Amino acid sequence: MFRRRGDGLIASAMLAPAIAILSIFVVYPLGRAVWLGHLRCDATGRKCRTSGWMQYFDVLRSSDFQHALKVTFVYALLTVPAGLVIGVGLAVLADKQIRGIGFFRTIFSSTVATSVAVASLIWFVLLQPQVGLLPDMLSMFGVMKNPGLLNDAGTALPAIAITSIWANLGFTFIIVTAALQSIPAELFESAMMDGAGGWKRFTNVTIPMLSPTLLFVSVVLVTRAFQAYAEVDLLTKGGPNPERSTETVTYLIYGQTSLVKNDIGLKSTTAVLLFVILLVLSLVQFRSLERRVHYGN
Amino acid sequence: MNTPKKYLFIPLIILASAVGSACSSGKSVTSGGNTAAPADSAVGTTLPELAACDTTALDSVTSPIEMTFWHGMNTTLADELVKLTDSYNSSQTKVKIKLVAQGGYEQTIDAYLQGSESSRPDVVQMPEYMVQSMVDTKTMLPMQSCVNNAKFDLSTIGDKAVTAYSAQGVLQAMPFNLSNPVLFYNKKIFKAAGLDPEVSPKSLEDLKAFSEKIIASGAAKYGISLDSALDSGGGWYLEQWFAKAGELYTDNDNGRTARSTKVLFNSKTGTELLTYLQELLDSKLAVSVGDNASGQDQLLKLVDKKELTAMTIATTAALGPVMDVIKGGQFKEQISLEDLGIGPMPGPDGTQGALVGGASLWIVDKGDNVKNAAAWDYIKFMVSAQSQSTWAAKTGYLPVNKSAETLDPLKTTYATDSRFKVGFDQLMSSKDAPSSDGPIIGPLREVRTVVAQAVAAIFKGADVATALAEAETKANQLINDYNALNG
Repeated sequence: MFRRRGDGLIASAMLAPAIAILSIFVVYPLGRAVWLGHLRCDATGRKCRTSGWMQYFDVLRSSDFQHALKVTFVYALLTVPAGLVIGVGLAVLADKQIRGIGFFRTIFSSTVATSVAVASLIWFVLLQPQVGLLPDMLSMFGVMKNPGLLNDAGTALPAIAITSIWANLGFTFIIVTAALQSIPAELFESAMMDGAGGWKRFTNVTIPMLSPTLLFVSVVLVTRAFQAYAEVDLLTKGGPNPERSTETVTYLIYGQTSLVKNDIGLKSTTAVLLFVILLVLSLVQFRSLERRVHYGN
Repeated sequence: MNTPKKYLFIPLIILASAVGSACSSGKSVTSGGNTAAPADSAVGTTLPELAACDTTALDSVTSPIEMTFWHGMNTTLADELVKLTDSYNSSQTKVKIKLVAQGGYEQTIDAYLQGSESSRPDVVQMPEYMVQSMVDTKTMLPMQSCVNNAKFDLSTIGDKAVTAYSAQGVLQAMPFNLSNPVLFYNKKIFKAAGLDPEVSPKSLEDLKAFSEKIIASGAAKYGISLDSALDSGGGWYLEQWFAKAGELYTDNDNGRTARSTKVLFNSKTGTELLTYLQELLDSKLAVSVGDNASGQDQLLKLVDKKELTAMTIATTAALGPVMDVIKGGQFKEQISLEDLGIGPMPGPDGTQGALVGGASLWIVDKGDNVKNAAAWDYIKFMVSAQSQSTWAAKTGYLPVNKSAETLDPLKTTYATDSRFKVGFDQLMSSKDAPSSDGPIIGPLREVRTVVAQAVAAIFKGADVATALAEAETKANQLINDYNALNG
């Protein structure tokens, strides 16, 4: 394999820093989490007793975990397609050389500089049933129900999803805008010469050329949806009770009202399960979307 | 991405089995553990030997000792804590306290329990539901050690506060910020309804009668706003009502004579109380604000023009901040500073008394005599009559020091504004019985979480008996798991 014995040594030496960092910060914590997953512990993680490896199946089959998983999937379905469509739509609209377009680009991308916490607080104030702005506006259309969108089991999750879509819009917009600007103008010109109209050019030139970017953005958005925590913590704390309609898996792991929060063992079990599910999901996403991605020549 | 296609079904099956509700066990996530026999170690007996606290270790110190104090105070309360600590730092040269705001009680708990030993502070503020868990971390210096060593006169501190923070027969932490729930009401609405604005409902029957009168008069849409949050209507108030009714919340005298092994809230008292609240909501005398995610939704109902509400229950610690908001003038149409009425929390049969809420100060034992002595010196200052007088007058917390009310500014505050004294009088009138000391159990926070879910379900019309029985099962499971690990 190596031309000289020395090559192997040099290669190992060069790989060593990366191996060391990965082992300390990725492999060891992951291994430890898997190990902790079969224990029941106190909050400091220093007092533990074994509960058996079946704990993974017990948690997987528990009603709390399945409920949280369902909420997480629904949340991803609510946020990812909508976020993608709006983000691409705005980017295409703003991709014109007209006067004052910089103003709109700034506005559309501004949320990238907004942290999830700040975004959540803005929406919390907007949605507050007593002093908020939105309830007053919505009540004019008869949409508003009494306890407020965040206190209603049916509307709490969509309300959080809106916050998240808004907060992620800047990210999608910037990435897609950059990708649009890298599409060679000749492609559009030749499409026009072939008689393609605006919509034809969008579906036959823009979308295929954007596809690698769209795959990237959708994977990032799905991951973000599965990691959503701050929005839930600030807006509903997993509630409204007793339905727990916004309790995502991450919130079940370490939310303020989580029953496993102070048990490092059960917490690890749940976290490892989430990791496995995300791994599977990413594999599926890559395999099913990759074939449609056009990487150009 | 060279994974052969045929292997893709393996992860898919795992995924499907996870999502498929067909294989749901229907059990709670915490119910898997093999429960060991409940521990029977007595907590009531004094430990054979208390860890040493040499309070004279500070005498020989020449350069200032730097100390860190983690706290969970916010807004007005945090500002006052900073002022009090500044005056301690400038009052002497041996100790310098550095305050670190963690953002709230829960954040403080997480930072303390999950952080490494080296990152821990020297002094930490912990809420009342953490007593047993903090003792079980075995990282704290029992306050009693320093009290004994310094020959500190513990009788200067309120008796109820001392018993609330005692476990294993000794004082574990120094009570600092004391609170309990009181009734907040709008006198303007009381007047409009033809009620005496100076008289608030004392019993649950009164509360209902007052609400009926207010609604009939058209002065407000609802009598009272209720919430089902675990730190208030969903958990803490229920413990308060049990204390008022003279009933124990958990066995073994609320965990005071030995570790609690089970909860007792699924009883006649519990059923009656929650049925009463459910009826208040059903008959539209009360309005529920649900989980109260903002922590102020129940209070904001008092100024909600669309659904004006006359009364609500909130902690005394909210008094200072609420007055600041009213002074801000945003709601001057609905309520003025004079219109805000405070009364004792209505209870079964009008019984007075309340459990100690709020938080206490803990010394983190790092085996350093000088640091322990410095922590004690600071804590002694914080609970002195003068400090507590200032603290209580500014925040609405109740003084832990018995002499604080004889000193200004609290003396003047109590004399000129009786609203600040309501919680204090309520606490003083508590019965001298284990039921009045409140429950101590390791997973009190988690038990409150399951109780809050039951209360929320009941508020939304669920069957009281079923909801309580379910909460009882879950709570007992939590207690058993905890005791098996810590017994």
